[in-house]
Amino acid sequence: MRLPAINMRRTYLIARRDYLGYVKTWGFWLSFFMPFIFGILGFFASSWDFKVSPTRYETVLDETGLHKAAIIQLDADNKREIAEEVMSTLGKTLLPETQAKEFEMLVAEKGAQAGQDYLEAKIPGAGERLKIPDSNMIFIEPPSNDLDELKAYMREDKMATYQGEEVKLNGVIHIYEDEGIKADYWSPNFNNPEAERLAKGYFRSLAMDGYLAGGNLSREGLDAARKGAVTINTFDPTKTNVKEGGSQKVTMTDRVPFIAAAILSGMLWLTVFSGAYMLLTSMLEEKMNKLLEMMLASTRFTEIIFGKLLGVAALTITAMLPYIIIGIGAVIGFILFGDPEIAEGLKNTFTLKMIVFFIIFLILGYIFYGAFFIALGSVAESMQDAQTLTTPIMLVLTACIMVVPLGMNSPDSPILTFASWFPLSAPFAAIVRLPSDPPLWELCLSALFLGILSIGVIILAERIFRFGVLSGAGVKGVTDWFKRKILRRKTN
Amino acid sequence: MTIASPLSIHNVSKAFAGKVAVEDVSFTVQPGEIIGFLGPNGAGKTTTLRMALGLIKPDSGEIKLFGGAPGAESSFGRIGFLPEERGLYKKQTARESIAHMARLNGMKGKEAFKIADEMLDKYGLSEAKRKKNKDMSKGMAQKVQLLAAIAHDPEFYILDEPFSGLDPVNQQVLEAMVREIAERGRTIIFSTHVMEHAERLCDRIILMAGGRKVFDGSTDDALSKAPRRMVIGSDDDRLTELMSPFATSIIPREDGALNLILKDKANSQEVLERCVFEKINLTRFEPKPPTLHEAFVAMVGEDMRAEMEIANMEVRA
Repeated sequence: MRLPAINMRRTYLIARRDYLGYVKTWGFWLSFFMPFIFGILGFFASSWDFKVSPTRYETVLDETGLHKAAIIQLDADNKREIAEEVMSTLGKTLLPETQAKEFEMLVAEKGAQAGQDYLEAKIPGAGERLKIPDSNMIFIEPPSNDLDELKAYMREDKMATYQGEEVKLNGVIHIYEDEGIKADYWSPNFNNPEAERLAKGYFRSLAMDGYLAGGNLSREGLDAARKGAVTINTFDPTKTNVKEGGSQKVTMTDRVPFIAAAILSGMLWLTVFSGAYMLLTSMLEEKMNKLLEMMLASTRFTEIIFGKLLGVAALTITAMLPYIIIGIGAVIGFILFGDPEIAEGLKNTFTLKMIVFFIIFLILGYIFYGAFFIALGSVAESMQDAQTLTTPIMLVLTACIMVVPLGMNSPDSPILTFASWFPLSAPFAAIVRLPSDPPLWELCLSALFLGILSIGVIILAERIFRFGVLSGAGVKGVTDWFKRKILRRKTN
Repeated sequence: MTIASPLSIHNVSKAFAGKVAVEDVSFTVQPGEIIGFLGPNGAGKTTTLRMALGLIKPDSGEIKLFGGAPGAESSFGRIGFLPEERGLYKKQTARESIAHMARLNGMKGKEAFKIADEMLDKYGLSEAKRKKNKDMSKGMAQKVQLLAAIAHDPEFYILDEPFSGLDPVNQQVLEAMVREIAERGRTIIFSTHVMEHAERLCDRIILMAGGRKVFDGSTDDALSKAPRRMVIGSDDDRLTELMSPFATSIIPREDGALNLILKDKANSQEVLERCVFEKINLTRFEPKPPTLHEAFVAMVGEDMRAEMEIANMEVRA
């Protein structure tokens, strides 16, 4: 087999034109700056106290007079817990290790507001910027004690009042006696179950308290028993990077590489998917512009294919640059200032082996799928044709991403091993297998196999390209060929 | 040292899905020639030219482009190819389009843009320099396409139906361009089914019909194959009878004169001498110069004639 000859200058010129053809469009720059635009919008949204959904005003119509206060108190407790958790996470992320511990204790003892004040003191402006999110659900006094009249409030025939302002009543938790205690939730906004869920949680908790009381037991006792329960630690007998005085206990450090590999595999998939699709449309554009034949008197088929692969690769990298910068910044930030266990895990993730194989599989995966999509683009004659032809490949690509969760949960799965050999899924599967340290020869062989197949796909793409572009063959040409050669039928 | 002929084709055949597109075609293009590659739609012209460039492989036969295989590195940059189906990148400007093709054909960046500007000025497209192709008129875009194909001043021009789609004014501009290229000693082969262009421009004609070459020779040789026509008129009733020995066809015209197609051995001089001898008072005596269209019809037969006329109508429409 003779490998196709390539003139680098012409390949570069084709790549350059393809790259500039996209980069000169305003749509490209809009996509490029989108993360920054969203970042700026987010920044201002936090300043302007922007809310995604409006505040919902709920009320409790308690005909028994026993539960209203407890439900409202439960809502307040829940909100406090969420606020403390948010503050705690912020503290871990933003503060150095010593201050983070102090901060956590402060939040646990004095609440989220104290944590916010602490953050403001340590990082001026942060407290204001990272304030505790306001709740979207507020309980108000029922404007009437009659359910039918409350329905009029929910229909906005009448308006309720909260802190001197007229507000719309969103829902009513109605508690009443009817051969025992019953509760209904009334609301025109029935798809938002927050108040309903709160009431359910309250009554479930009440039922448990009742049950415990029957055996002279208390909720506090149950909680204490739970706290004292035996905890299960996970150990990994294959773990070798044990620090002095440490054990083989599995920590976040051990889990992070698997999570990071899954994210990298997902990124690889996204790159291949978007790059390959761009190649398809670029090829189709060439065909519709009717320029290919003129170019083919001055260049080779392979130069056009490689030029396009190179141009769109550069374009994809440029388009993803903001995300790459943000990603690298986030990883460095975590390593320097984040939780030590996660930082250690990230350091273990980005080894030379991971970086080298990520680059190898990124390039091979892109070439493999890219050449395939170029071939499809050259037989398509319209976007409809292109969509019809690419649907099966899209399905395969989508199926390939299914190996990512397998890599996290069952790195020893035979399906995953097979997937790392199967060329369509090899790029994604090989990356997610890396944290489980597969033998180097397996990775090399898988890359070699994919590399050989990629060359095969390029040669095949060249033939399809030649057939599709110059023989006037489109999808009909392919189906006619299938009928003639496979089904042995006559075609028109 | 002998100069390799730009193109030589030997016994080349090509079929698509069992249908013969080109059958046993042979010809050689000599340096400096202007060849008209003629024939109706489906005659096999485009397929032959595509095979010549190595875009399609022939089923049998041999093709040499500048003495080597088509598509070899040695031929890149030496050919200016204008395909029948042509277009431009919609978002490129005219100068970018021309410079891009010139660079692909080996010119340096600055030089390519300089030549693009010069050509656009020369051919009246100065205002289109920085205009995007999508904003140009069809005629302007076609000129830009041609300039893109020839900006690198190649040795050998292959123009597939260069006149199609051009209005009469731009057809004249293109004819002038072809003459100018020929004056520089470049080799040109262009396909067309409008015979008038070939008659005016070419010193050699290759006629194709049904995938086969039916004629290959000088334009004069081709014209000699056309039937010799003339119009003759007289008040004398003996005229029709008198013309019988000279003509294969005598058709009376509405104005009373006769349309004659002369026999192979007859000529208009003999007709005139006979009329003088018989003392026939002539009111009209107009020998018609032969056309390539007539020569083509004579060579390929009546069956092809209708197809040819349809094709010509399409081009003129």
